[in-house]
Amino acid sequence: MGHDIWGRPVLEGVSWGLVGIAAAVGIVVILGHAVYRLIRGKPQGE
Amino acid sequence: MATSAESIGRLAPAPEHSERHAGIDRLFHWLTALTVLTLMATGLLPHLGVRFDWVGVHWIAGLALVALTIFHLVRALLWQRLRTIWFSATDFGSHGASKYSLAQKLMHHAMGLMVLAAVCTGLLMLKKIATPFLTRDPYLLGADTWGVVYVIHGLAAIVAVTLVIIHVYFALIPENRRYLIAMIRGRM
Repeated sequence: MGHDIWGRPVLEGVSWGLVGIAAAVGIVVILGHAVYRLIRGKPQGE
Repeated sequence: MATSAESIGRLAPAPEHSERHAGIDRLFHWLTALTVLTLMATGLLPHLGVRFDWVGVHWIAGLALVALTIFHLVRALLWQRLRTIWFSATDFGSHGASKYSLAQKLMHHAMGLMVLAAVCTGLLMLKKIATPFLTRDPYLLGADTWGVVYVIHGLAAIVAVTLVIIHVYFALIPENRRYLIAMIRGRM
């Protein structure tokens, strides 16, 4: 959030700190799937 | 004269050797990948402290993505069967098979929504910068509306980070390697 020339709050965009959270979500999905593969065993066709 | 086995082979090619992606679709996929990665690098790195003159490369890559999106929409609507990419009963049952798995369809639709959001807001944002073909007009929209445009564009960029990480991972794991090969050679 920022302010216009009259001091009113206006949207300026997203917080770029969310980039790290987005990358973390991707890594959590990868780790989750890797654990799932370990539990399930070697898939067919591999 | 061909033997019966050769005849059978010609009449009914094994499904695993059938063409999955036409050359034009593979070219579209890899050009889109290159464009999206360029847009992510030029759009996100400056916010992570990497300073360089990114605006020119970003809007040119953005226009390339607009052209690729229009191409894909026209090709999908006029030359391809939309059924193959939309959800069907076979996605949720054990019988039958469709060209794309449920996970692939979900990834396509998530990527599609992300690209459409980024492209539509990006086109509006062109009015905020100096380009050879548009007169700059930062007052085209009110401050509040520009804020909404920036939020949607930024959210698309942030969602792209997650989607690209997941997409690349699932493309590289051994059990999906045949899909990666199909996107390179056309055949599985």
